Amino acid sequence: MAAISTRATRQSRLSASLQHWGNWVFLIPSAIFFLGYMIYPILRTLWLSFTDYRYLRQGPANFVGLQNFQYALSDPLVLIGLQRALQFTLVFLPGMIFLPLILAVMVDRVTVRGLATFYRVILLIPAVIPGPMIFVMWRLLYNYEIGPINYILVDVLGIFTKANAPQWVGNPSLVIPAVAVFQWWWGLGYHTMFFLAGLAAIPKDLYEAARIDGANEWQVFWGITIPRLRPIMAILVVLRFGTAMAVIDEYLLFGGFNRGLPTYTWTVYMYDLAFQTGEWLQGYAAAIGWLGAIGMLIITATLLYIFRNRDNN
Amino acid sequence: MALNKKLNRRNFLKAGAVAGSAAALAACAPPPAAAPGAPAAPDASAPTVAAAAPAAPAASTSTRPLSPTFYQWIYDLHPHIPELNKTLPNVKAEIAPTEGFGIERFVAETKNKESTWDVYVGMTPFVEMTQLISTGAIVPWDDYIPKDVLDDIIPSIREECSVNGKLYSWPFFLDITGSAWHSGITKAAGITKAPTTWDDVLTGAKAIIDSKAAPYGNVYDPQGWRSLAPMTHSMSTQVYTSEGRFDFNHDAAIEALILMKKLKDLGPANLLEAGASDGGVNSTPDEVAFAAEKAGFYFKYFNSPYRMAANWKDPNLLQIGAYPKFAGGEGSTVFWTTGACLFTYGQNKEAAAEYMKTLTYDKKIWQDSIAGTAAAHPVQLPVYTSIYKEWAASKPEWLPEAVNTISGQMPIAKAITNHLFGLKQFQLARPFYEKYLLGQETSEKTVMQQCMDAVTAELKKTA
Repeated sequence: MAAISTRATRQSRLSASLQHWGNWVFLIPSAIFFLGYMIYPILRTLWLSFTDYRYLRQGPANFVGLQNFQYALSDPLVLIGLQRALQFTLVFLPGMIFLPLILAVMVDRVTVRGLATFYRVILLIPAVIPGPMIFVMWRLLYNYEIGPINYILVDVLGIFTKANAPQWVGNPSLVIPAVAVFQWWWGLGYHTMFFLAGLAAIPKDLYEAARIDGANEWQVFWGITIPRLRPIMAILVVLRFGTAMAVIDEYLLFGGFNRGLPTYTWTVYMYDLAFQTGEWLQGYAAAIGWLGAIGMLIITATLLYIFRNRDNN
Repeated sequence: MALNKKLNRRNFLKAGAVAGSAAALAACAPPPAAAPGAPAAPDASAPTVAAAAPAAPAASTSTRPLSPTFYQWIYDLHPHIPELNKTLPNVKAEIAPTEGFGIERFVAETKNKESTWDVYVGMTPFVEMTQLISTGAIVPWDDYIPKDVLDDIIPSIREECSVNGKLYSWPFFLDITGSAWHSGITKAAGITKAPTTWDDVLTGAKAIIDSKAAPYGNVYDPQGWRSLAPMTHSMSTQVYTSEGRFDFNHDAAIEALILMKKLKDLGPANLLEAGASDGGVNSTPDEVAFAAEKAGFYFKYFNSPYRMAANWKDPNLLQIGAYPKFAGGEGSTVFWTTGACLFTYGQNKEAAAEYMKTLTYDKKIWQDSIAGTAAAHPVQLPVYTSIYKEWAASKPEWLPEAVNTISGQMPIAKAITNHLFGLKQFQLARPFYEKYLLGQETSEKTVMQQCMDAVTAELKKTA
């Protein structure tokens, strides 16, 4: 009897284990993708950063310790590149937060359901256009000779002449705002949806109570809407800080590999070193990437601290 | 079976740690070791010292049809090539993954001692050849190219495509830098004579602006290999250091920079803007201005004005001429070829040589290139002496007089010396010489020294 009971216990444990491990099977595809496309490249570049690996040189890579990091810290192009990326981020982030926020508040006030849906659809159109098409379109819009923006400014409104028309791409003072504006346009609908979801979660009786107490619209906005949207703002600031610092495609489109332009940031420098210049110093480029990533992590942690939840309960 | 065991954080983290450790171990694997018998990387400062030809892989029976790969633009500008490929037996041609002059795929396959393709058609010697040789990705054609074909290549082109006497690029398309102009604009400005000197150009460009025939007297592409180098060659071609680098400090280069500034002041304000494609290299403002019929003179490799003039109301208004000279200068210019390289680990090497001979002597390709098609009008020229002799003896009715003007520059034209930094040296120098062009720095010698120093600093990183 005891033997039968033990066997039955073992069988039920085995059955439970099989059920438990059966859950893991459904994670395998995601795990493979995550490990193969996220974890492996990250660890591989970490390893590369400690070597003198050059893609165009034959022979194995040699371990060089912290040499690449030391050289990167004294490389003026690394510091300048990070500064340029930060400049763009400081221009880009406020617009990426406040423009969608204002639009979301406006769309949320629309009481006609069909119209509200129409506005939402319009806002999402940029988000569904493929990236390369967006780049081509905006590069044409900004074209000095034949672009519609300069056509309106010069030929229609007469604000500028052909000689002093804005060089949206060629002028170092204008190129960063130009990239920021098209990035705002591209992400407007997507981020507005974030805020609309947040606004929907704010209890309406809070607004009613505030208005009954005599609060005006500004007071309602700053006293109720903004604090309630704080968690969403935190997510967007952190996410967009990362993407803004890591921009490369737009910089290559607007500035190429000209090291004198503000579009030649640390990401472009990394790419230039790793795939264009000399023997393709990929070990060194990896070290630059890690330095930039560590810097970004520090700032991200600071942002998370700033946007931490301050509720008592 | 009910799934009643929920995942908790501890179990998930345990599994993640196991998987992550496995990935870490895999990531720490060293890169592939060098192929046995592969050549040492050449000294970056001695561009004419090639790697010894690598030991070819053991001869093996071909397991596939001849597999050439083409840079996309070649198909775009020469539509007969894909048509021809379809008619050739046992040829499987593909477009190469080489946007923006990228060769990483070819190098990656070489490291694995394999090659998806046998031949790559799209290599420009001063741009990629040194890199492909140094990685052992390509082998010379000498064992495969028929001797009569080798001897038929125009000597200066053969020199451009050779390293240590071995032909690494089978040249296909010839591009020469010269002059072009919009004859409607120059006529309206009262210019009756084609410019032969840079002084003629400056006078004419000013006349175009003053007469309001066009907003811009001239345009040119400010990227060094398309302007600084040919303008320097028009003064002197002895402007390369012993290592093969462009000597920015040479008097001829300094004169060229001064000329570039004078020309820029008679051109569009956005001339120095980056191009819209290929990492800023192509679709440049000069092309836009000339295509929009806003500039009188244009100085670039000939296929550019021809492509841009195709957008005009009347493309026949395009005129071309030899590159202008400095008074007392050599009167040279820059040429380069786009050719084919033979992959070390490719197959079908003998068939590849036959294929390239077929392509490069194909009459329809040259007719379409020179006379133009509905798709394109690149005016890229052949590289064989015999073809020009044949045309001189019996001129085809589709052959314009302009071809003589273009090819007539070949005896004096010179290629940019092959070097690991062949193209890159001009990109590295650009931020510095642009300061002079923008008037931010007034000493041309100072900026040219900065150009030289910038390239030297980058070379030191490689060393």
